Amino acid sequence: MTARLDEFLIGVRHQREWGWLVITYLFLGGAGAGLFLISLYIDHAWAGVLGLLVVILGTLLLFLDIGRPERFWRAFLRPQTSWISRGCFFISLLIVFGGVHLASQLLGPGFLRWGSETFLGEFSKAAAAGAAILVMIYTGFVLSPSPAIPFWNSALFPIIFFAYSLLAGIDFLLLSSPVLPGPSVDLIFLEKTQTYLGFACLLLILSHLSVMSSSAVAARESIRLLTRGRWAGLFLGGVIGAGLVIPLLLAWPIVGHEVRTIFAFTAALALLRLFGDYLFRFLVIRVGLYDPLL
Amino acid sequence: MARYGMAIDLGICIGCNACTMACKAEHAAPTGIFWGKVLEKEVGKFPAARRIFLPVLCNHCKNPICMEVCPTGATHKRGDGIVLIDYDMCIGCRSCMEACPYGPRAFYEGNGNYYPGQQTLFESAKQDFPEGIVMKCDFCVDRVDQGMDPACVQTCPTECRVFGDLDDPQSELSRLVAEKKARPLLPEKGLEPSVFYIGG
Repeated sequence: MTARLDEFLIGVRHQREWGWLVITYLFLGGAGAGLFLISLYIDHAWAGVLGLLVVILGTLLLFLDIGRPERFWRAFLRPQTSWISRGCFFISLLIVFGGVHLASQLLGPGFLRWGSETFLGEFSKAAAAGAAILVMIYTGFVLSPSPAIPFWNSALFPIIFFAYSLLAGIDFLLLSSPVLPGPSVDLIFLEKTQTYLGFACLLLILSHLSVMSSSAVAARESIRLLTRGRWAGLFLGGVIGAGLVIPLLLAWPIVGHEVRTIFAFTAALALLRLFGDYLFRFLVIRVGLYDPLL
Repeated sequence: MARYGMAIDLGICIGCNACTMACKAEHAAPTGIFWGKVLEKEVGKFPAARRIFLPVLCNHCKNPICMEVCPTGATHKRGDGIVLIDYDMCIGCRSCMEACPYGPRAFYEGNGNYYPGQQTLFESAKQDFPEGIVMKCDFCVDRVDQGMDPACVQTCPTECRVFGDLDDPQSELSRLVAEKKARPLLPEKGLEPSVFYIGG
């Protein structure tokens, strides 16, 4: 292990503790929960299965990231103060209640004593939906409460993470729709939803940048890195341009009109948005900076 | 019950890093990991340019955000205000490192011996860290429990560090903090650190 030179300098300091495993978890965990949530709305059990699998895959990455994975169960011990601890409960609840709900739907009423129309069936569905929403939101709370990194210290973060998670979840559904068993997916409805969601994400990101531009030194440096510095190309070109503006401009003509669309078109837009979503989470973690101590 | 703290006079510190080395010797911190260190910065312009020094360590905050975000309870605070990490409970999630604005914590991935693959006699006698955990300054808790000052305080050749009880208004530390208008780092973060700085 070697120490970095900037560890010995007074000035703005980069966070280097969380890397691509955490970034990919943020992406997959949010996208999987978003996919599960939309699957409940459109009543598509196989999309829900895919959503849970994506959440589980993302969670496995977290296991790889922590220093002592064999002690993971200890992360459940402090839900009264720690958002990571709360997140462990949210993910567990999503997997358990989501699994029960999907089992009752896919394996038929003979598998469980209750059917999906009974109180217990409705309860497991509602609990799974609630857990999915919490999984989409809590990562924003993991980042936002700490005053250490001013760019993350924003009440908008949980909302942005929720919107981006739903956006990514629907994109996963759009891309997987040709191979998913079960009922066909209404591509036009989903694409219209994505247009509104993409617009909301754009407004939320611009609002966050606006708020942070008058915040602490480190937050202003984060914005400089994103808009004029090292990461400007990826942020402006990838997150804003390819991930939000281009899909919005291309999809806008179908909003409010009953038009036919083709899978290749929606798939291309979904890929652009997913690219932007991953980049967004990557850059949020990368531009996490600590205020100078003096 | 005491609340331990420290004052560091930046007007006296000469940036010799004796504290850094004393800390390494006391705790045998792995290669590349420093529980305490001296930051520096060049200020002013030639011919009036100079370097300023800032010795840093865990601030043992009264409201430790590291303890709040820790999902396992590994980070805990003693009654005397010293914030410690239980290595047997730490899972190495590094959320404490993200949450602390002062940067004193380090993640130990393992293989921190000076000679790769083998421990020196000193390391085998002093190092008892498991791999994959977070570590930091513990105010030399073993020394403090025996009535001694932390190693950095005892070693400083300029005596710029004073260790003591912040809750005792008669202690040298409390008097220094009051008389010299000592301030903690980043007080606006609301964590109420127990390490104060004079001048600078």
